[in-house]
Amino acid sequence: MIVVDVNNVTKTFGRHVAVDGLSLQIPAETIYGFIGPNGSGKTTTLRMIMRIYHPDKGSGHIQVFGEESFAAANDRIGYLPEERGLYKKMKVREILRFYAELKGRRDCKQAATQWLERLDLTAWADKKVETLSKGMAQRVQFISAVIHDPELVILDEPFTGLDPVNADLLRDVVLDLRRKGATIIFSTHDMNMAERMCDFVLMIFKGKKVLDGTLQSIRETYGRDTVRVRLESNGVDFARIPGVEKVTDFGRLQELRIGRQVDPQAVLSSLMERGRVMHFELAQPSLHDIFVRIAGPAAREASHA
Amino acid sequence: MRKLPVVAVREFQAAVKTKAFIFTMVAMPVIWGGMIGFQVLMRDKVDIREKRIAVLDYSPGGRLFEVIAQAANERNERDIFKGEGAERRQIKPRYLVEKAEGLPDDPLKATLALSDRVREEKLFAFLVIGPDVLDPGTDALRAGVQYHSNSPTYDDVLDWAAVKLNDRIRQLRLEALRLDPDLVRRATQRTPVANLGLVSQDAAGNIVRAEETNELANIFVPMGLMMLMFMAVMVGATPLTQSVIEEKMNRIAEVLLGSVTPFQLMFGKLIGTVGVSLTIVTFYLIGGFVAIRYSGYGQLFPAQVICWFVVFQSLAVLLYGSLFAAIGAAVSDMKEAQAIITPVMLFLVFPMLVWINVVKEPTSTLSLILSLIPSATPMLMVLRQSVPPGIPLWQPALGVVLVLITTVFCVFAAGRIFRVGILMQGRGAKVGEMLRWVVRG
Repeated sequence: MIVVDVNNVTKTFGRHVAVDGLSLQIPAETIYGFIGPNGSGKTTTLRMIMRIYHPDKGSGHIQVFGEESFAAANDRIGYLPEERGLYKKMKVREILRFYAELKGRRDCKQAATQWLERLDLTAWADKKVETLSKGMAQRVQFISAVIHDPELVILDEPFTGLDPVNADLLRDVVLDLRRKGATIIFSTHDMNMAERMCDFVLMIFKGKKVLDGTLQSIRETYGRDTVRVRLESNGVDFARIPGVEKVTDFGRLQELRIGRQVDPQAVLSSLMERGRVMHFELAQPSLHDIFVRIAGPAAREASHA
Repeated sequence: MRKLPVVAVREFQAAVKTKAFIFTMVAMPVIWGGMIGFQVLMRDKVDIREKRIAVLDYSPGGRLFEVIAQAANERNERDIFKGEGAERRQIKPRYLVEKAEGLPDDPLKATLALSDRVREEKLFAFLVIGPDVLDPGTDALRAGVQYHSNSPTYDDVLDWAAVKLNDRIRQLRLEALRLDPDLVRRATQRTPVANLGLVSQDAAGNIVRAEETNELANIFVPMGLMMLMFMAVMVGATPLTQSVIEEKMNRIAEVLLGSVTPFQLMFGKLIGTVGVSLTIVTFYLIGGFVAIRYSGYGQLFPAQVICWFVVFQSLAVLLYGSLFAAIGAAVSDMKEAQAIITPVMLFLVFPMLVWINVVKEPTSTLSLILSLIPSATPMLMVLRQSVPPGIPLWQPALGVVLVLITTVFCVFAAGRIFRVGILMQGRGAKVGEMLRWVVRG
């Protein structure tokens, strides 16, 4: 089942095209990661899915749970925006009740207790928000987004500002939600987190979709064009080896990107002519590499030209 | 629609729990009461050190000095005490009058000597009675009395002396003309004019005499209602700007917009605010009713206007509240908001500038027109309604319709500004931008 169906949607602010002809489909019970550099249109897309922004007139449409109207689907969605805050003067439990009631949940006391316990906030349940640390406030915000058991959870940069322990805690909670049947969309800058968690990855760059698919399929697309080598002797000029397009020097290890049509074996034999090969590895590019390849300085220059 | 009450209740609680609100509700009446009590208490706490007054009497025979001296004696015996028997205590200063020697050749020098004594605080004041006071000519200085003191704001002695002297001078003049003072008083007596309402007929057909109108009450009751409405809008609606700015600055707005539409959010807040203002109004109306009943003026309580008052009050809060909310959404901090709030405040204060004309002639065409300006209707219409005998029903009804239309427009326009502005960060919107949001949506 498709939970979110974005069909050829464009959104402009004045002259700036924030999202340009974007289409995507998010299947149920998956974790869908949005990656992309700052200002590439991730948040705008999420806001459009939330109906906080509306796509440009004449461009495509967005369906959530098969509905185009806001009210019908809203209570089934939990949303944690990137810009998030809490009423400072309210107590933690009051805030959670307020957000649950906004989503139509009258009886949320038990759920609140369970969530506070799960995220290690029980002691703070009756404290005012202004007394919380930033990390604690962020956990309260997360609870407020999921306290009503949403079927679709949209998290915009949920991990920023969390220490590693809390980030792991939050990751486990998100994985748990998926296991229980929720569909999760989250945007992140943390490629490691995306790599470890996502079933699908979508990358937006300058408002356009540049990657969309399972991690495996994306890796295969960017494929086997990377080899990592270590030679015994230093001083070999890898760039002059035929077929090598780019060299990334990690000191003891060199990462070579080779042309698509080039046989890695040919590269290996060229290397062997130049010295003793201590290590030769056909590597799949990491999501980080793919990200940098698409949105790195070279790509930016190319798109400006 | 079930989301509206959730937003409204939170807004109401957040507003009612603030110190400012509790202060307005509870502390204000206490402070007012305290101030009145303090003044009552202070009324008798005057300086009762004796006041020495010199009289320089140039009048023929110097007879007027005696008048002052005798009046002072009578006063010192009789008028400066309060209470009886053991309770009797002095509450006013004694006046000690002495005769000053004049210098007919150089009157100015005599007054200088007396002035120096006042400066040295040996005298409190002195009077110079001109030679022609009984038979005034054209020279004002000679025909008048001059009071000199170094305490220009203290006029008790002056007033007292003026009354005593004038009584005596009038009497002396009448004697000189051989007129009977009693006859003159009767001939020149003022005729009272009573201020009455209208004569009516009761159910049994008896004609009921008109009651004497209480002019003060007829002005103060309408004014009180208008001030109450003004205050309830100020206390209830203006904090909306602050509240929206808080939601914007603390990044709460977008979290909320994950659950409600901007319009629901704004309207929920407005309903909460109406609740806040009605709480204030109820509190004060009950308080006012009790106070009026207790002081025996129960019939002055404008019961027939209260329903209209509540309707207009609610509309006023919606009207102004929507503007204040839109301002909050359009700016980035309170300082920026102040500049835009000012013109809205002018509309809010406008009835205060014209109320006295309206209350004096509530049925004039000008009053009607002023009270049909939607921004002023709530206050001015209630003002006109609460002056007896009231106004025709169609006028407040038309007022409600006009205010309602304006309110719907304002809420709609504010909703559009709110929708765009609430997510804007970092800078405020220009007025032109806001207009564009309203027009384009």
